[in-house]
Amino acid sequence: CGFSPAHAPGGAAHALRGAVVLADPADRNGFDFANRLEDRLGRATVPRFRLDWSVAAEPVGAGITPTGAITRYTLKGSARYALVRLENGETVTSGNADSFTSWSTSGSTVATLSAEQDAHRRLMVILADQVVARLIAAAPQ
Amino acid sequence: QPSDAATLVADKVQIAANRTLEAQGNVEVLYRTTRLRASRVVYDRTTGALSIGGPIVLTDDQGTVVLADAAELSDDLRDGILSSARLVMDRQMQIAATEMQRLGGRHTVLSKAVASSCEVCAKHPTPLWEIRARRIVHDQQERQIYFDSAQLRIAGVPVFWVPHLRMPDPTLDRASGFLMPRLVSTSRLGLGVQLPYFIKLGQSRDLTLTPFVASKDVQSLGFRYRQAFRTGEIALTGALSHDRVVTGRRGWLGAEGRFDLPQGFELRFAGETISDPAYFRDYGLSDKDRLDSSLVISRTRAGEHIGGRLVHVHSIRSGEVNATLPQLSADIGWTRRIALPGIGGTATLAFDSHAHRRASDMDMVGRDVARATLSAFWRRSWVGPAGILASVETGATFDLHRIAQDSTWPGHVTTVTPAALAELRWPWARVDGAGNSDVIEPVVQLVWSRRTTANHVPNEDSTLVEFDEGNLFGFSRFAGADRREGGTRVNAGLQWTRASASGWAMVASAGRVFRLNGTGQFTAASGLGGKRSDWVTALHLTAPNGTLFQGRAVFDPRFDLTRGEMRLAMLRDRYDLSAGWLWAEADAAENRLTDTSEWVLDGRLKLTDGWNARAATRHDFRAQRTTSAAFGLEFLNECMRVDMTVQRSFTSSSTVRPSTSFGVSVDLLGFGNARGSRAASNSCRY
Amino acid sequence: GAQGMSVGFGGLQQDTGAPVEVTADALKVDNASGQASFDGNVVVIQGALRMAAAKVTVEYGDGGQGIRRLHATGGVMLATSAEAAEAAEATYEVATGALVMTGSVLLTQGPSTIAGERLVADLRAGTGEMQGRVRTVFQPGQKGGN
Repeated sequence: CGFSPAHAPGGAAHALRGAVVLADPADRNGFDFANRLEDRLGRATVPRFRLDWSVAAEPVGAGITPTGAITRYTLKGSARYALVRLENGETVTSGNADSFTSWSTSGSTVATLSAEQDAHRRLMVILADQVVARLIAAAPQ
Repeated sequence: QPSDAATLVADKVQIAANRTLEAQGNVEVLYRTTRLRASRVVYDRTTGALSIGGPIVLTDDQGTVVLADAAELSDDLRDGILSSARLVMDRQMQIAATEMQRLGGRHTVLSKAVASSCEVCAKHPTPLWEIRARRIVHDQQERQIYFDSAQLRIAGVPVFWVPHLRMPDPTLDRASGFLMPRLVSTSRLGLGVQLPYFIKLGQSRDLTLTPFVASKDVQSLGFRYRQAFRTGEIALTGALSHDRVVTGRRGWLGAEGRFDLPQGFELRFAGETISDPAYFRDYGLSDKDRLDSSLVISRTRAGEHIGGRLVHVHSIRSGEVNATLPQLSADIGWTRRIALPGIGGTATLAFDSHAHRRASDMDMVGRDVARATLSAFWRRSWVGPAGILASVETGATFDLHRIAQDSTWPGHVTTVTPAALAELRWPWARVDGAGNSDVIEPVVQLVWSRRTTANHVPNEDSTLVEFDEGNLFGFSRFAGADRREGGTRVNAGLQWTRASASGWAMVASAGRVFRLNGTGQFTAASGLGGKRSDWVTALHLTAPNGTLFQGRAVFDPRFDLTRGEMRLAMLRDRYDLSAGWLWAEADAAENRLTDTSEWVLDGRLKLTDGWNARAATRHDFRAQRTTSAAFGLEFLNECMRVDMTVQRSFTSSSTVRPSTSFGVSVDLLGFGNARGSRAASNSCRY
Repeated sequence: GAQGMSVGFGGLQQDTGAPVEVTADALKVDNASGQASFDGNVVVIQGALRMAAAKVTVEYGDGGQGIRRLHATGGVMLATSAEAAEAAEATYEVATGALVMTGSVLLTQGPSTIAGERLVADLRAGTGEMQGRVRTVFQPGQKGGN
C-alpha cells in the first residue's frame, strides 16, 4: 500500500535523524518547542540541514459565565518552519502548523497561573509534533 | 556638470535669436528632487522664467504630485503660478483650485479650493466628503494643511463650517492635534462623545488625553503616556471619571513596559488597578474578572532558560474574597539541557522555587506556602530495527514544601519522586507521485513513577487538570508541583498526518491511558480517572481555500463526552465566519459546579463594495442564556470609514448589571499617516 | 523679427557676407565637378565664425568665384564669439547662412549646453532648432546669463 517505515534506511525520515541544526530559542515557548524538536529529531551530530522556526501563542477568553466570570481560556498557537540544506542554502520544505490548548480559570489564582503555564507547555509539544510529522512527510530522499 | 544644474529634455528645442529656448514634445525638466513633465516649455534664459503648456505633471520626492493646465514657474521650479491645478498628496488627498501658487518650494497656496481624498468619477462627480475653503495652504516642510473659512460637505450637502482648520498631510506620522471624535452611548452612562487630543513631546514621548462627556452626568478624562528609551519603552494608561453610577471619583490606572537588561536578560512588567469592580464593564474597557500585575525577568538561550516572576492578582469576581486568595506569588526557575558525551543522550537539570502568600493571617484560611524543586532527567533515543524509534528517560524530582499558617498541615514536607519511561515510536510514511503524503505514527509508552501518599501537601497549583495530545505522553499530567502522577501506566496513541497536493491538510490523533495501579489520582470529569482513561481525540483540518477546523474531544467508551472544544474559521472575500464551541463536564474539584456548554459565533458579511455587517454572540446552553451579543455596520472606502456598533452584555451579578452600548465613529481618511486603513478605491465604473 | 533683437548677445548671428578662407594640409581640386576637397586639420574662417574639421569638400559658385557650399565630415568643431558647437558632420550654405549639423550635436551657450541629434540653424537670423531627444543642461537662478 505504499507505506514504509520512515526511520528505516531509505525511509523518509532517515536522512533527518541527527542531521538537523535548530535555530536558537528566544523565549520560554521557543525553549520548550526547540527541546521537543530535538527530542524527536535527535541532536545534530552530522549537521546537513538547518531548521528555521518561529512560534506564536495568543490567549483568547473562551468560557464566560452569565455572572461575567471567565472560566476558560483558549490558547491559539501557530508555528512556522523552513528546512534549509546547509551546503547550498536551498529550502527543502517549509510551512506552518496550527493548534490550540486551553485551561480553566475556575480555580484559585495560583492554580490558574500554573494551568496557564502548562497550557503553553502542552501547546509547544503539539506544535513540535505536527512540524516533525510534516518534515517526515516532505523529507528529502 | 555642477550638481545643482537643471536638465531639460524634449523632442526638439528651438533656439531663438534672443536665446530663449522653446522645447516641444515630451518635455521634462529635472531639478534636484523635483520633476516636471509638460507638452511645451519656453525658457527665457535672461529672466530665468519657464512658461509651460500643459498637461503639466510636477512631482517631488515626498509623494506630492501637482497637475495643471498651464504654469509660469521659476527655472528652479520653486516659485510661480499654476492654473486649474490639482495637488495630489501621497496618492490619497487631492486639493483642486483654479489657481495654485508655489512659494519658495515650501508653501503651496490654493485659492477657492476643494480638498477631498474621495475618488471623483464622471458618473457621480460629487465626492462622498469634501472640504471647500476660501484658501488652502500646504506647508511641505511642516507637512500641515491650513484651511481658511472651511466648509465640510457630505455628499455635496454642507454640514459644518469653521473659520480656521489645521490637518496633518498624509505623510505626517506624529503631530500634536485632535484625533477623530467618537460618539458612544451606553445604557449606564448615556449618550457621550470622546474627543482624543494627541500631544507629541519630542521624538520619544507622547501623551494622548481623551476627554469623555456623556449625558448621565459623566465627566471622564482618559490619558495614555508613552515613552521610548534606548533599551526599552513604557506606557501609562488610565482615566479619572465621575458619574451617577457610583458616587465619588472613579477610575483606573494601567502600566506596562519592557526593558533589555545586561547579559541578554529582559525585564517586562504590566499592572492595573481600578477604583471599583464594575468600572471596566461600565466604561466598556474590558471584561476581565481578575486584575493581574506581573514583573518578569527572563533570558533564553539554546539549552538554557532562566526566568523570575512576581505576580499580584486582585479578583473582582463576585463571591471571591481577596484576603483568602493567594494574591501575591513569586517563581524563580533555571533549566539547563546538556548533551552527555560517552553514554550519549541529553540531561535536563532544573531548579524551580515558588512561594505564595494570603493576606489573611487566620489559621488555614490564611495559609502561605513556599516550595523548592530540583529535578534531573536523562533521555536517550535509538533507531532500532525496521525503523522503530526507541527512547528511554529516567530521573527524579525532589520537592521541599514549607507550609505556614495552617495547623492541619506539617510545617515541612520533602518528597522524592523517581520516574522512568520507555517509549517506542514507529512512524510509517507514504508519498505518492501526485504529491499526496501520509505519515501514520503509532506510539506506546510504559511509564513508572513512585506514588506519593495521597494529600501529602495541600494541592494549590495542580487542581486544574487538562487532558489532550500535549500531555497524553510524559511523566505527569498535573500542571504544577503539588501533585506528581504516580504508579505504572501505559500511554498509547496514534497520529495520522496527511497533506494532499490539492491543498487539504489533516492531523488526526487518538490516545488512551491504561493504568496498572494508582487509579485514584484524577477525577472522572478530567477524563483521566479509573483504570482506563477516556479516549482523547483531536482533528485539525485545513481546506485549500483556507477554512480551518480544529476540534478536540475527550469521551468515555460509551461516547459520553467529558470535554469537547471546537473552533471553525472560514475567511472569504464575501464573508468570514468563526465559531467556537466548548463543553466541560461539571467538576467540583475544579470549582465548576455545573457543566459548561458554550457557543461563540463571530461573522462578517460583505453587503456592498463599501458596506460590511458584523455580528457576534456568545450563548450559554447550560444557563439557557446569551452572555453577550454585538452587531456592527462598517462602511470603508478609499476616503471614509464609518463604524457603528451595538453591544449588549447580559452579565449580571452583585457588582455588574446588564448594559447596552452603542458607538459610532466617522473617520475622514487621508489626513495623517494612517497607512493600511484605507480600502482600495473602487475604480469608477462607466 | 529676431533680426532686430538688441545688441549684447552672442547668439548664432553671423555676418554671412564676409569672405570665407579655408586652410588645410592637402588640397585636391576636381575641375569637372567644380569641387575641391581639403584634407587634414582643415580650418574655415568667415568673420567671427571658425570651423575646424578633418575633411571639408567645398563647392564653388558659378564661374568659380566665391565658395557656395561647404560640407565638413570626420568630426566638426564650430565656434563663434560666444557659442561653440560640435558634431559628426556639418553643411554650410554660405549664401543663405543655412547651417545643418548632424551626429551627436553639442551646442554650448554660456553656462548652458544643448545636446541633440540634429541642429538646423539660420546664421543670418541667429535662430536654430535642435532635434532628436534634445537634452539641455542649464544653471537655474542665474539671471541674465550671457
